[in-house]
Amino acid sequence: MIDIQLIGLLNATLQAATLLFIAALGELITEKSGILNLGVEGMISIGAVAGFMTAINTENIFLAILIGVLSSSIFASIHALVTVVLKQDQTVSGLILTILGLALSSLLGKNYVGRKLVTKLESVTSISEPTNIVEVLISQNIIFYIAVLLMISTSLILKKTMFGRRLEAVGEDSKSSDSMGLKVAKTQFIATCVGGAFAGLSGVYLTLSYVPYWTDNMTSGRGWIALALVIFGGWKPYRTALGAVLFGFLEALVPRLQTYGFELSPYIVKITPYVITILVLVILTIYKGGKTGAPKNIGVPFFRENR
Amino acid sequence: MNNLKLFKRQTVNELSTFYSFLIGFIIAIFIGSIILLIQDKSPIDTFSLMLRLSVGSINSLSASLNKAIPLILAGLGISIINSVKLWNIGAEGQIFLGAIAVNFIYINTQINSPSIHIFVLLVAGFVGGSLCILIPAITKVVFGVNEIITTLLTNYIVFGVTIFLINGPWKDPKSLNFPAAAYVGEEVFLPTIIGKLSFGFLICILFTILAHYLKNKSVFGFEMRIAGGSAMTAVYAGINAKQKAFIAMLIGGGFAGLAGAIELLSQTHRVSTGISQGFGYTAIIVAAITGMRPLGIFLVGSLFGALSIGGSVIQTIGVSAYIADIIQASTLFGALIIQFFFTYQIKKVEND
Repeated sequence: MIDIQLIGLLNATLQAATLLFIAALGELITEKSGILNLGVEGMISIGAVAGFMTAINTENIFLAILIGVLSSSIFASIHALVTVVLKQDQTVSGLILTILGLALSSLLGKNYVGRKLVTKLESVTSISEPTNIVEVLISQNIIFYIAVLLMISTSLILKKTMFGRRLEAVGEDSKSSDSMGLKVAKTQFIATCVGGAFAGLSGVYLTLSYVPYWTDNMTSGRGWIALALVIFGGWKPYRTALGAVLFGFLEALVPRLQTYGFELSPYIVKITPYVITILVLVILTIYKGGKTGAPKNIGVPFFRENR
Repeated sequence: MNNLKLFKRQTVNELSTFYSFLIGFIIAIFIGSIILLIQDKSPIDTFSLMLRLSVGSINSLSASLNKAIPLILAGLGISIINSVKLWNIGAEGQIFLGAIAVNFIYINTQINSPSIHIFVLLVAGFVGGSLCILIPAITKVVFGVNEIITTLLTNYIVFGVTIFLINGPWKDPKSLNFPAAAYVGEEVFLPTIIGKLSFGFLICILFTILAHYLKNKSVFGFEMRIAGGSAMTAVYAGINAKQKAFIAMLIGGGFAGLAGAIELLSQTHRVSTGISQGFGYTAIIVAAITGMRPLGIFLVGSLFGALSIGGSVIQTIGVSAYIADIIQASTLFGALIIQFFFTYQIKKVEND
């Protein structure tokens, strides 16, 4: 009996982690280029509502994924335009992207509140109730495997390819990169849109699988936890994934504590992820003593001094 | 060959923030119109209705200004904290904790003079707001933890605590369908000045002047600016940058907490989830759009208050209230785009 519960916990952990990880990985790529995008929460929300609306109207789940990813990416290009091309404050622009994203998705999703999805994103195999670890691993939906693939490929791309080295160079020292002939603005623009696309995928995962209906503000702070995960992971894909699993585990565990005999107010249970995120950030900052691994140019607009 | 190159302007027009805001607002109205047209609503009818119902009569005007109070106070708090180059994304939570502190003191004290009682409760709200930002402030100045994320996360924590309180220890058994704490007594309601305009608006004016003085005229304001600049300058000037940052954060949080107190004592009269409807987030836009200037925050806060009232009344004709949020956020995006042209110059350059 306890085994079934543990398997359920593991399954829920992976699902919660997938959602957080994809968004965090996207932000990692954006930040690697030296652009801070605090709009993750808004971008997830846009992807979530766009994917959900497409799924309801067309019942075509793959089109829904595509539309969700594209809309978030286009939405992120606002941030790219304002911060990369027009060199305005990244903190302000990102925050407003979150506010705008939440408002826009609520407006778009107004007529979809409470509607249930007919064609939910199902497991890739026929197993719907996994009973052992192997079954858990082979019974996730397609986005989970995409996430694993993205983790491996992002790590490889960052380390081994020219694009990855260029991205890192731009984020570390945009001025030198520019004098070496690298296209700083183009790299940053692409990285921001890629970050948006990833957040969109995370949003699609939210409404097509994790919680298959639409309500206002259903991202409930996950975008901000994703931002914290990038710091937690030290701007490294595998460590970020580890962090996502840890947070996913907590998100899955806390509501289950009651079944293990703990008496907890459900309202207090709800705030634990946020409390733990703050605690983890504090412990991490003390432990690393300032050397967080952040790209050196993050938040600094690139402007070519005319020579 | 001709090439376009970017130059930073030597001098930036003093009124550039104002012009950027104005053009940004026009852009936002344009975007709002497109959204309305997509939804088969007439922009002219909708906006004129919004205008009429937000500033068309003494009653609607006072409702708009009442709505502006939390936006202005929280915005002022954000601008004070920004003097040390830090961000406060936690105004929403500070507003709620301000209201919670008011109710806590109200339940646990017995004061006979109503005016002293109200004063004590307002102070409690301020302190509640400061308490809310205490942990982000400590973790920032002691350990250097990113305050943007910690202040934001406190919003979710305080909101969770509010839900817990109004469903648990403070639950009013008489409020059946809508969880809320019991009403405070009428003796502590804030009086009104004209129409429905709350006395809180006078407090708001006072605190705008106070914030303006604190930021721009006082020694502390000067020290805050130094503390927010380079670390070396602060050391040379003998200024304890961390201490200034800490104090600035507590004061800024207190401003938002006071907003929560006024909201409780003049609008909701009890702790509920309705204490703030995203005021803390809108305040970020208000503060950023004015370049963190207190007097500008007062004006833009008033305008945005009217916009919010307008947004909530047009729901009756089937237009989403989120249109107001979208206009507010688009105004800032528009303003940022225009600001670029004030700070940079695009010139044609002959390449050899």
